[in-house]
Amino acid sequence: MPGEVQPKASRATIEVTTWVTKHAGGDGTGSRIFDEEIRRGDTPRTVLRRFTARFPELDAALWSPDHSELGSHIEVLINDAVLGVTYDLDTPLIGGERITLLGQFMGG
Amino acid sequence: MSPTATATRAAAKPAAAPTFAYAGKLLRVNLSTGKCWTETWSEKDRRDYLGGVGLGAKILYDEVGPRVQWDHPDNRLIMATGPLAGLPVWGTGGLTVITRGALTGGATSTQANGFFGAALKYSGYDAIVMQGQARKLSYLYINDDVVEVRDAAHLAGKDTWETQQALEAEHGLSGHRLSVYAIGPAGENLVRFAAIHGDYGHVASKNGCGAVMGKKKLKAVCIVRGTKALAAHDARGLIQVADDIAHDLKTDPSTATLYNYGTLPGVVNLSKLGVLPIKNYTTNLSGDVDMKEWEAPKLREGFDHRGHQCNACGMRHCHIQVIPRGPHAGERVDEPEYEGWSGAGWTIGLTDKVPVSWLNTRIDRACVDVNEFGWVCGWVMECMEKGYLTEKQVGFKLTWGDVEGAYKLLQMISHRQGFGDILAEGVKRASEKIGGKAAECAIYTMKGASPRGHDHRGRWEEMLDTCTSSNGTMESANPTFQTEVGAPGRINPFDGEQVAKLVGMIRGRRHFEDSLGGCSFTFRTRIANLASALSAATGWDYRLKDAVRFGNRTAAILRAFNLRCGIGTEVEYPSARYGSQPVDGPAKEHDVRKQWDRMLDVWYETVNYDRKTGKPKRELLRSLDLGWLEKDLYGKK
Repeated sequence: MPGEVQPKASRATIEVTTWVTKHAGGDGTGSRIFDEEIRRGDTPRTVLRRFTARFPELDAALWSPDHSELGSHIEVLINDAVLGVTYDLDTPLIGGERITLLGQFMGG
Repeated sequence: MSPTATATRAAAKPAAAPTFAYAGKLLRVNLSTGKCWTETWSEKDRRDYLGGVGLGAKILYDEVGPRVQWDHPDNRLIMATGPLAGLPVWGTGGLTVITRGALTGGATSTQANGFFGAALKYSGYDAIVMQGQARKLSYLYINDDVVEVRDAAHLAGKDTWETQQALEAEHGLSGHRLSVYAIGPAGENLVRFAAIHGDYGHVASKNGCGAVMGKKKLKAVCIVRGTKALAAHDARGLIQVADDIAHDLKTDPSTATLYNYGTLPGVVNLSKLGVLPIKNYTTNLSGDVDMKEWEAPKLREGFDHRGHQCNACGMRHCHIQVIPRGPHAGERVDEPEYEGWSGAGWTIGLTDKVPVSWLNTRIDRACVDVNEFGWVCGWVMECMEKGYLTEKQVGFKLTWGDVEGAYKLLQMISHRQGFGDILAEGVKRASEKIGGKAAECAIYTMKGASPRGHDHRGRWEEMLDTCTSSNGTMESANPTFQTEVGAPGRINPFDGEQVAKLVGMIRGRRHFEDSLGGCSFTFRTRIANLASALSAATGWDYRLKDAVRFGNRTAAILRAFNLRCGIGTEVEYPSARYGSQPVDGPAKEHDVRKQWDRMLDVWYETVNYDRKTGKPKRELLRSLDLGWLEKDLYGKK
């Protein structure tokens, strides 16, 4: 497709951290690292949709009930920056990114 | 022991209207004379001001004039609970302390938990309003209708835990049968960031409320769990809502972690965002520390511990633990919450969990606010490292992570010994006094308030809230289910306009929470749920919109109080270090100062306050039914 960003690499890393790992086969500690394929035209939204389709609990936790947007309780970082800074949900991925899912922390 | 002053009256006649959820009476205490009396408050006032900070803000505004400084006998020290306290909703033993505080010289509202709120309600009171100043160290004893100002000479110099233990022994009661909120040596010695601690590990920490208590020569408030009836209008409905809230807390992705571990996950999570304050904001990198060891389950590993729940609470949040090794092995401590791990740990370069846990409780026992202690101690450590402060000035050498040195500094501050006397004024005043390069390293708001234990350079919404608030800490709180009030679910945290709009839109949530008599963690649910609980408890038809309106009313009253005290828009910005650009870590690209003025513009527009004068605008006050405040702020027209 003309103008479409071509991924430089065909993979990205999804890092699921701390308590969020409970929704992705972990025990709620540490990190679980997933090596994910990046396809032409992929964005954080499309990659995360494919990813969470494999983990129903994570799917429910990450997305709003109608699945149109992210819910507000898991932070999404791309290359250590919170979503909205350098990437938004529909920014084309170039490949090689590290997408981190981090439980939102509330409180002092 | 004979009471030094007893002027107990029989309980006043009950309020004419039904007092579902409320005791229906306020307890008044004049410490100068020892006189204690009660007054009823009307159904309309209860509906308008709810309790907690809502009630306290109104009393403070009405009774503490601009010439009444924090240390004047006419200042009020208000300990107020709310309509849900003592009812079967999780975490409903809460109280809010409202006063004119010692750090900012302005209004203060600071909330704490345990059993106090429930014990007070069961004794027949919704709040205690204290005025005057005792002639000698005293404590307030409440046992249903018996209310006495008693001699506390035997408690002088004791720390908060020792004070509670002594009162338990004296009265032969412990656990949930006796609630004690007390000051330690820091309060007695008028340290400006002294707090009020209670029930082993709970604290009303902000804005030097403990110094106000110390100035009143009030060592403790001690309440025997009362025997008065407390009824909900719709008990079955209330339990249903309480179950709904508990279910949300246990299962919602954001709060399930709070349910299991309280605030412990904050250390790792905030470090990934550049929001964990490390070594007085000099870095945002954790160095060679293995952060996996700081995950919530790991923070509990290695300590013998057991739950230490507050009134009616089913959370696995608060714990008492035992120091397992080292020079303090075997000591019983309160498990640090996130801010303990940050203020007694990371902020001062201390990353060994065992000494952090020990120091955190020592700070509590001295009755010092752990946040401000971190900013003070971290500032001294950095300044000594850089040569801005000398060993001769401080009295000894203090380096990053030196727990025994930090404890020594705590003692010097608590007793105002040597350099500790300067530090006891708080980091703003201390750094201004020292001046030079040292002044540039201190973390504070220009109002003098202590930021919470985060690195707000990566969390601009809290920095803006802390700098613009009128209660000595944050007024808006962390965004929680913010879509409920029409705010976006997520924003770019480094886009000043988005941040300011969000902070303005969620403003007042905390005031609503802190007026109900419960815990801000068990209340991490939708406001609509809390409003439903309030409706079931009181019989009112209370909705989300009412809660938002209430929060904004309370914020406007506190703002007007501060303006009257001379605290205006000119001091709504962070200190040089607090507002600096991080040198490393996830937020290093972002400089809040470049957007600060614009953020203020947007915030003022969103909350409908006048940007120049800081006043809530006339139309806002009218919409909030605050005509009396409009007259005060703008005159009769």
